[in-house]
Amino acid sequence: MTAVYQRIFTVEQDDYASAGLVSSLIKESLRYMGISPAVVRRVAVATYEAEINMIIHAYGGTITLEIGDDGTIHLLAKDNGPGIPDIEKALTPGFSTASKKAMELGFGAGMGLPNIKRNADVFHIESSPEGTILDLLFKEKS
Amino acid sequence: MRRTSITYTLSHCVHCLKCVKACPVSAVTLVDDRISINKDRCINCGQCIKACHSKGLVASGSSLEAIRDYPYTVCLVPSALSSVCKSLEEAERLFYAIKQLGFDEVIDLSPVEGQLKRETQRICEELDHGNGIASFCPVIKRLIETSYPMLMDNLVPLNYPSEVMAKQIRKRENGKETGIFLMCECEAKLALAKEPYKNDTYEVDHTLAIVDLFPQLRAHFPEGREEVHFCRSGLQAANPSVIVQKQEYLIADGFDKINDILSMEEFNLLNDFRMLYLFPCFNGCIGGHLLWGNSYLTRNHIDALTGEENLPVADYPIEDLYKEMVIENEDTRSFTEKMDEFRRVNEVLEKLPRYDCSACGMQTCRIMAEEIARGHKKLSDCRVLAASKERV
Repeated sequence: MTAVYQRIFTVEQDDYASAGLVSSLIKESLRYMGISPAVVRRVAVATYEAEINMIIHAYGGTITLEIGDDGTIHLLAKDNGPGIPDIEKALTPGFSTASKKAMELGFGAGMGLPNIKRNADVFHIESSPEGTILDLLFKEKS
Repeated sequence: MRRTSITYTLSHCVHCLKCVKACPVSAVTLVDDRISINKDRCINCGQCIKACHSKGLVASGSSLEAIRDYPYTVCLVPSALSSVCKSLEEAERLFYAIKQLGFDEVIDLSPVEGQLKRETQRICEELDHGNGIASFCPVIKRLIETSYPMLMDNLVPLNYPSEVMAKQIRKRENGKETGIFLMCECEAKLALAKEPYKNDTYEVDHTLAIVDLFPQLRAHFPEGREEVHFCRSGLQAANPSVIVQKQEYLIADGFDKINDILSMEEFNLLNDFRMLYLFPCFNGCIGGHLLWGNSYLTRNHIDALTGEENLPVADYPIEDLYKEMVIENEDTRSFTEKMDEFRRVNEVLEKLPRYDCSACGMQTCRIMAEEIARGHKKLSDCRVLAASKERV
């Protein structure tokens, strides 16, 4: 797969006011590209969760959107730490380590990673104290 | 085939671009000093008409003359129209006045609206993916088709009240030639008929703008009364403040709120709800642009009417409510073609100022970029770029 399009978006730590901005931009771009609505919906939901995670749990990071020549959508979410101590726990629906502040704002229901996994066709996660890398692929289903 | 109920008169137009800026789906453009409405994009919401201060844009349905083409005629009256009446007596006078326009029969749609409302609630309660979106407003249906296609699966697959009733009448008349007319409170409903655009997907033959008939209706109003059978919950279906009060139902009116809500639904952020009842018009259908009363007062009227102790209640079976929700005119280009265009548009967009000032006649710089990429416009048509060059 060769990439025919690539764009990198920056997400900042604790920037609750802009929550959803990057996912809205990605959603809009995919719509302009004419990607099928069902796929855009899955990407949108997953990107939103990844973006929120970066804001509330991580020290910010970047989300890279890449489109392959066959229409495959590749999302790479890379944050600057502090990493997820127990990935298996984080993947359990309802498990949350969100701060009180985040909870008060309505975030941190413990569905972030499970939702991302459910919506992506290929889900890969790696985490160390230096940061977490979330590698996602979305394909058109025929 | 798609159509718009909105017509443009060049001689009234002052080229102020208010309509171009007001369109929620970027369907209005100014090309060669004329306003043009893209029929594939237009959702008949009437925002451009509301923005127009010079009567350059108006919505029109058929003329009343069309009654003469049929041996028997029926007029359907949505319950929003009854909101101009303060009491049952006034409602009966309104129905009498409508009949005097030349119809053989006048039918109130509130029983169908009530039935569709109940069915909508039932479907939404059972839906297993996100919120159900009530579909009796044609603007909402078209808005989702054109701007939120990801939510097509959430649209409740029910037909419009006028169509459900029209089908029922066709069945009753059993092949006899019958002209079915729909009296309309808004621009969007004007587009729901066969004529004048030969659109066979509808059972209703003609639509009429009630505001155009106001003088005749007022003349007949004091003359007599016609018995009407209402449905209380149907009458309330046109009014967001009383439609259904339940915490799981998100009810909202006005485009700003609707766009906000639909974007949230795309991200699955409204999980605590079950149903979205959305009205593009402020105060719902009773705020339709073709009604003469102000919608804050008409809200009280509907309350008074539904509160009438001796309200004659309609009691007849209503069937055949369903309609498949499909996207018309789907984009059939290949991925490569779409991607090529996306890149070409982006290249042009980089050169444009991105102020979205609309001075070129396009609502946004992106739409201008699309036009340039397709060869319909040139970079020099951008007023901002042209002005900055002059200064140099």
